[in-house]
Amino acid sequence: MTAGDALLLLPAALPALLAPASFLPRTARGALRLCSLGTAATAALMGAASIAVFTGGTLSTAGGWLRLDALSAFHVAVMALVFAMSAAQVPGAFAEGTADALPRAAARRFGGLWFGSLAAMLTVLISGNLGILWVGVEATTLLTAFLICVRANPGSLEAMWKYLIVCSVGVALAFTGTLLVAASAARAPLRGAGTLLWTGLAASAGSLDPGLLRAGFVFLVIGYGTKAGLAPMHSWLPDAHSQAPAPVSAVFSGFLLNCALYCIFRMLPIVEAATGGSGWGSGILVALGLASLVTSAVFIVLQKDLKRLLAYSSLEHMGIITLGVGLGGAGAFAAMLHTLAHSIAKPTAFLSAGRLVAGFGSHEIRHVRGALAASPVWGAGLLVSLLALLGAAPFAMFATELMILRTAVGAGSTAVAAVFLAAALTAFVGALRLVIPMAWGPAGETVGPLGASAADRVQVLLALLALLALGLFLPAFLAGILSRAAAVIAGGTP
Amino acid sequence: MTATPALAAASILSGLLLAPLTPAVIARTKAVFAGRRGAPLSQPYRDLAKLLRKGWVFSRTTTGLFRAAPVLVLACGAAALAMTAPAGIAPGWGFAGDMILFAYLLGTARFLTVAAALDTGSSFEGMGASREVLYSALAEPALITGLAVLARISGSSSLAGIYAGLGADVWMSAGAAVLLVLVSFLIVLLAENSRIPFDDPNTHLELTMVHEVMVLDVSGPDLAAVEYGASLRLWLFGTLAVRLALTPSGLGGWELLAASIGGMLLLAVLVGTIESVTARLPLLRAPLPLAAAVALTVLAYVLAARFLG
Amino acid sequence: MNAPMEALLVALILSDLALLGSGRLGSCIRTVALQGILAGLLPLAEGGAGFQILLLGATVVVLKGFVFPRLLGRAMRESATSREVQPLVGYAPSLLAGVAILAGAFWLDGRMGGLLRSSGGILVPVAFSMMFTGLFLVVARRTAVNQVIGYLVLENGIYAFSLAAAREIPFLVELGVLMDLFVAVFVMGIAIQRINLEFDHIDSGRLTRLRG
Repeated sequence: MTAGDALLLLPAALPALLAPASFLPRTARGALRLCSLGTAATAALMGAASIAVFTGGTLSTAGGWLRLDALSAFHVAVMALVFAMSAAQVPGAFAEGTADALPRAAARRFGGLWFGSLAAMLTVLISGNLGILWVGVEATTLLTAFLICVRANPGSLEAMWKYLIVCSVGVALAFTGTLLVAASAARAPLRGAGTLLWTGLAASAGSLDPGLLRAGFVFLVIGYGTKAGLAPMHSWLPDAHSQAPAPVSAVFSGFLLNCALYCIFRMLPIVEAATGGSGWGSGILVALGLASLVTSAVFIVLQKDLKRLLAYSSLEHMGIITLGVGLGGAGAFAAMLHTLAHSIAKPTAFLSAGRLVAGFGSHEIRHVRGALAASPVWGAGLLVSLLALLGAAPFAMFATELMILRTAVGAGSTAVAAVFLAAALTAFVGALRLVIPMAWGPAGETVGPLGASAADRVQVLLALLALLALGLFLPAFLAGILSRAAAVIAGGTP
Repeated sequence: MTATPALAAASILSGLLLAPLTPAVIARTKAVFAGRRGAPLSQPYRDLAKLLRKGWVFSRTTTGLFRAAPVLVLACGAAALAMTAPAGIAPGWGFAGDMILFAYLLGTARFLTVAAALDTGSSFEGMGASREVLYSALAEPALITGLAVLARISGSSSLAGIYAGLGADVWMSAGAAVLLVLVSFLIVLLAENSRIPFDDPNTHLELTMVHEVMVLDVSGPDLAAVEYGASLRLWLFGTLAVRLALTPSGLGGWELLAASIGGMLLLAVLVGTIESVTARLPLLRAPLPLAAAVALTVLAYVLAARFLG
Repeated sequence: MNAPMEALLVALILSDLALLGSGRLGSCIRTVALQGILAGLLPLAEGGAGFQILLLGATVVVLKGFVFPRLLGRAMRESATSREVQPLVGYAPSLLAGVAILAGAFWLDGRMGGLLRSSGGILVPVAFSMMFTGLFLVVARRTAVNQVIGYLVLENGIYAFSLAAAREIPFLVELGVLMDLFVAVFVMGIAIQRINLEFDHIDSGRLTRLRG
């Protein structure tokens, strides 16, 4: 086994081994600590693999069944960030003596499912075979379902059931899409197993049957779009993201949605090549992106629950990313940068919100008052990350939204730009109206501890500084990585 | 092959004479299931004779429609019998589209029954009328679609043509469709003739009746006409199904006539068995088997269209 | 399109109609088990005989015909529900909807022309109608077990569709899909039990706390 193969396999093998090992620790605290440390180790391995791809080029093994190129390596790096941030907060979120404390059995189950989902998401990213990709996505649905209701209460069980059924049905439809794609390759000169490999499909995109491929793409978009929470398949998203414990919500919003979008973006260049570059596939993505934006704007204005507000914000951002990729060119680059920025801001927001909710004893916005006064660390974490998420300058997401707007206007689709602007502005105003009383003013009644350890402070500070830095200037190496990832979506050689 | 008139006359006469036998066979079968000896098979004939000897009693609220309806119903039944009983037995009998006329003669008979029931102004009859129409509204699409399937498969819209066109070779390729139609015809038969599981012919509680309550106010020879008309109706639906089931056998002429009479008696035993082993459905759930019958006939149509290209 | 295959496909459609028309959980579970067995026999009826095909068929039959009904039956017994409470769409309208789905599926297949290889047979339209029936059941039924049954019907339809669309899917992927399905049903069964523990019912129509 070469070093490249090891780099590909180890990040997935480690969590797969740690999952059963999570049932060994003798205390709840031990299980949660294993969770954070194991995730940190896995994140380091993932970082190493990504760096290897960024510096050395595509890694591929097992006849192309496992491969990492610029796009998947970028997503692996983002995933490492999200998981590291969330796992660092796991012991604190379930600390003993608080209302959220987990008994030992539940903590072990949490650890096992956490590592299982980590391994499954990595399988999705390193798989070069459409079929294995699908198996990974379905596995993430099943493994994360019980993470939502690790604290069994009526709300979380209802959210878990909705998530399980809606996403399973969606992913089943995605499998139909996979079958149709494989069928479209029946007449292309591919061998048996090669009909489902990205490399094979991309190479023979010209000889794929366009009708079947279109039908397959529609099913794939609907199916994986359900998993990504794009409107109108988003009904599970606010419930699942708001009822899950904070670290789980952070992972869901910070990466799981992006993982599903990754699957769609992989198919886009193949569809574009097979349909003669007519923009049919991109048009679908633009439409879905706009639908998500509009839906999220409406519901953000009407929100009363803090975590649901953050969940709808995720819907909005997935919409922006999809819109950017659909517009193509600089829009795809902006979408990649937006992915990175969102995956830093959203977990920070959820983790801070989780602590604040535990402190104030309620999910509702009207009970969370004066967060900055009650806890400078978590209050600032929530406030600043929310401002960044809403697209306030000078944070990164302002720049990316501007880039996408410019791409839309430049391409002549002023209607798209207008709808985008209207939805983003509505969300901005609607959310800000709710955030200001949450952050400033005298502190509301607290029922739980709102302390923050030194490590927590460092984590929040680093995240907020990163958001600011990304907005102000983009280092050359990062720009290079982002543009190579965007190039894969545009159909360049990976 | 003997002459057409003899065959035609024989098939029509056998229908007219043997129709009251079918309810008798059904009652006998139910009696056997219940461990009783049951009434003799000639009982319906004796009941008809007794009723013919009695006088009429008409309610003051009824009009001429009520007086005319039983005879008109009988006329519809007899016309349908004359049209369809010799089909497939006597060569050359029938005309294009006669299956539609068959279905609508039966529908007219039902309409007249319902109208006469409403004419009495009694709430019992009105209740029975509305229930009867509810079931028929679901049974009729099943019947028509089933006939359409058969027409599609055999390529003819005449009952005689249908029977001729459904030879053994057609059964090999589109047999599944014909079987589905047969099953749905059986369900329609049970519904249109007020048999369990749609209606209990032996109930004496008016609020649970569907068909029997519509004829509460009929008396004397009119009642004889109504009862005879009901058995004719059963004979008509029955021969439709039996002839369909006999199509792959390749019989013709007198053998087919004998076989179809025998098949009718067997069908009566089958209906009696179904009545003995099933329970009556609650009123609100009765549409379900009819919806199933519609579903089966649509499925049969789709399959027939696909199998025959 | 040979006779055994046709008979299997017609039986599959009839099992769909039976599921649409019935609300009794016990009979629904048995029907979907029968449907799984029939679906598992499809590749054999089509004439395949390789070792992989036999193994796959046997696995599908065992999983869908025996394991899943046991998992669902356990969930049903523990929750002490034996029939659908009150479906969103009544049984007779469901049957008629099933007929409409069937007609629609055949029409769709006619529109797709000869895109898929086994055109001229009824495999593709039957697969489509099973998929849409499964979706309909997931939406129209309220009892959690019935929703899982709808999901299984959807999966059966997709399996039938895979026979028509893509024969060369690698064996490993097929096994992965089956394993995923098994874990899915297992997880759903456990989820139902936990819901029942918390709520004392498994009527998802009453899970309406989260709104907005």
